[in-house]
Amino acid sequence: MKRFRRQFFPGLFALLIAAAATLVLHAHFRRTLPNEALLTGWILLAATLALAFYNARKRLPFLPLGNSETWLQVHIYLGFFTVLLFLIHLNFRLPHGWFEITLAWLFALVSGSGGVGLILSRVLPRRLATRGGEVIYEKIPALSHALKSEAENVAVGAEAKSPAIAEFYARRLARFFSTPQNTWLHLVESRHPLNALISGLDDLRRTGSDAERAMLEKLAALVRQKDGLDYHRSLQLTLKLWLFVHIPLTYGLLIFTALHIILVFGFSGGAR
Amino acid sequence: MSEQLPPPGFDSQNYARPNQNWICGHGREGNPCRLGPDARGRCRATAECKPVLETKPGETKGRWRCTRPGGACESGPLPDGSCCRPIAKCSPVPTLRLVRRRLTLAVIAASGAGLLILLGIPPWRDGFINPGTLSQGHSVAAFAEMAATNHLKSNCGACHVAGHSGPNGIVRAAFHAKPGIFDFKKVVFAQPAEPSVMDANCLTCHPGKNFHQPDAPVISCAFCHAEHRGAVMVATTDANCDFCHGDPAKMAVSRTVSVIHHFSTDHPQFRFITEKLRDPDTLKFDHELHLTATDIPKLPDGLTLDCAFCHQPDASGAYMRPVEFERNCRVCHSLQFDPQTPELTLPHGSAEFVSAFLHSLPAQYAQLAAREKVADASDFVETKLAGLRSQFGSGVELERRIFLSTATFGPQTQIGTLNGMTRAIFPGCAYCHEVKSSTAGSPEITKPVMPERWLPDAKFSHAVHANIACGQCHDAIHSQETADIILPPKETCEVCHSPQGGVVDTCAECHNYHNPPGGMTDGDTLMTKE
Repeated sequence: MKRFRRQFFPGLFALLIAAAATLVLHAHFRRTLPNEALLTGWILLAATLALAFYNARKRLPFLPLGNSETWLQVHIYLGFFTVLLFLIHLNFRLPHGWFEITLAWLFALVSGSGGVGLILSRVLPRRLATRGGEVIYEKIPALSHALKSEAENVAVGAEAKSPAIAEFYARRLARFFSTPQNTWLHLVESRHPLNALISGLDDLRRTGSDAERAMLEKLAALVRQKDGLDYHRSLQLTLKLWLFVHIPLTYGLLIFTALHIILVFGFSGGAR
Repeated sequence: MSEQLPPPGFDSQNYARPNQNWICGHGREGNPCRLGPDARGRCRATAECKPVLETKPGETKGRWRCTRPGGACESGPLPDGSCCRPIAKCSPVPTLRLVRRRLTLAVIAASGAGLLILLGIPPWRDGFINPGTLSQGHSVAAFAEMAATNHLKSNCGACHVAGHSGPNGIVRAAFHAKPGIFDFKKVVFAQPAEPSVMDANCLTCHPGKNFHQPDAPVISCAFCHAEHRGAVMVATTDANCDFCHGDPAKMAVSRTVSVIHHFSTDHPQFRFITEKLRDPDTLKFDHELHLTATDIPKLPDGLTLDCAFCHQPDASGAYMRPVEFERNCRVCHSLQFDPQTPELTLPHGSAEFVSAFLHSLPAQYAQLAAREKVADASDFVETKLAGLRSQFGSGVELERRIFLSTATFGPQTQIGTLNGMTRAIFPGCAYCHEVKSSTAGSPEITKPVMPERWLPDAKFSHAVHANIACGQCHDAIHSQETADIILPPKETCEVCHSPQGGVVDTCAECHNYHNPPGGMTDGDTLMTKE
């Protein structure tokens, strides 16, 4: 991440220079370029394949192909540059026909999801760091289960002798500890559900005995921990889910691109 | 804030494997088995350990030892060597990685299957891969009609070789195309607009495609005529013309035209101006006189002698109908030759007819007498003939002066009125026409040449320019000679047809590219050099 920040401005500058140079060259040579659409198409394909190879690179860690962070940098800047190549290939016009429109939509969705992913991968880790704590996503269910067991033990276990707390647990906390909660609200940084639960526990505390107060404090701590787990789950899941759009549609895009090439040449003037 | 989360303790016995496809179902409860599911997601749990048989020296039976990670259990292995603590079977849970892979495979499968279906069913295929609406002339209905007459394949196959093939044929055509899929060198270095195989299909219905100059390079039809861009074919752009006209090397072969990029920048002045070309017509006509003279008599029905009186648009409104004597001239120029008899006028159009008319003057006067219901017709005829004899001497002299004289001898003032309007004088045919005397028969009158269009290879519409006064383009009020070509110079057009004027100034706005049948019209034949 630090390297990314350090390289952001040089990378952005290089991207802008490359984009401007490409636009100037295109404007200058577009009338004289033979088969301009074919030429821009091949360049676009090469860029797309280079972008797609980033995923393959991750599967081939044993090959000396440079470190993954460099590949990610290249993937990001080349991704933006490829959008420009795509627009040039389209001649800055809207596509026509079902096939071309589908292909363009696939490109737009892959590019758009990549852009969303880039934003998410820059924003959400910072928010997680701000919230504090570290938890491995895959361990969240087990940790939640442990919290649930502990909370049940506190509220309705053998040593718990408070009908009010047991009733509150059954009514408000049982579901909270059982399943992931407030996924969308955590994304928008809403603490309203947590505050509502803590407020409910505070209400009980005002009228409770010393023993009950101790139990309620334990429960409040467990509620905060579960809320923290849900927060991590929500943000980490979001960090993973954008790839559910980006990667599958990339394969769809590659299939449609291959067919696009076949159709372009199969229906070209020189097809025989 | 970290206290708000459970401690991130690392349990080496319960190492999570998110890169695997399946994780143990007991992982949710925090106690996954060590073995985990197999690659196909089946639970492999059996027992907490796999006891090991240890046989000490001298022993024959040996003893089973518990190998449970974290320490041996209290009960130890069963006598048959199995673990006493079996693990309950779980329902393995797919990892996010596996879910994503499955989604990816689903997208690949759906894309492949969908494309195969769409490409395999011809009506769907044509609609699916069509990159845009065809122009009206190449529409499905039009092709169906042409297919019957020109032995074309219907639909896409009329133009595209692969158009009537299935998926296999499309792939085959793609790999046999020129330039081919991997012919990168050709892509980079090939000449644009190079003719292609598909041009042959164009010529099936458009035979005899002519170019506007014999030495113009042969280019592909599709270079200028872009299809699949809507019901109306996209107009040829200046860029298409620039391919040759913007290239000095290509224009070096041209006799007359230099490099031209745009009308308002480097389009040359019109040649009839630079080469001072003249109208070779022998008719004598003075536009200035007809438009500005104050002694022009009034016309019937309150009409005035302006441009529109003689120059009437054709049915399309684009061009002007040729001026005709009977329609446009006779209303003033009645060809009255007998000052005393305005009802009798000469025929127009043929010297022989005029001569025959003059040789039958007694009969003409007799018919006039009958029409006018004159009581004594013979006396009427004799009086008229005597009047002519006194003025011209003889019939031969009368005929000579009618054909050859440019002196006025017709009605001079207010005589010879028709509907109360005065008529123009009749000086003789030679006043307007080139008349050559002939030794045999009637004099020879050179037929006027009035072309319907001066620049036949250019497009123009008077209807579009109807809101502009004639005089703004045609300087007729300063033209005294027929030889004056009073077309506007380039600068006049440029006032509007330029970026400053805001009116379109593309090449195709005025010029046609293909020669009309029979070749390009040579504009020079309509004009002569000064």
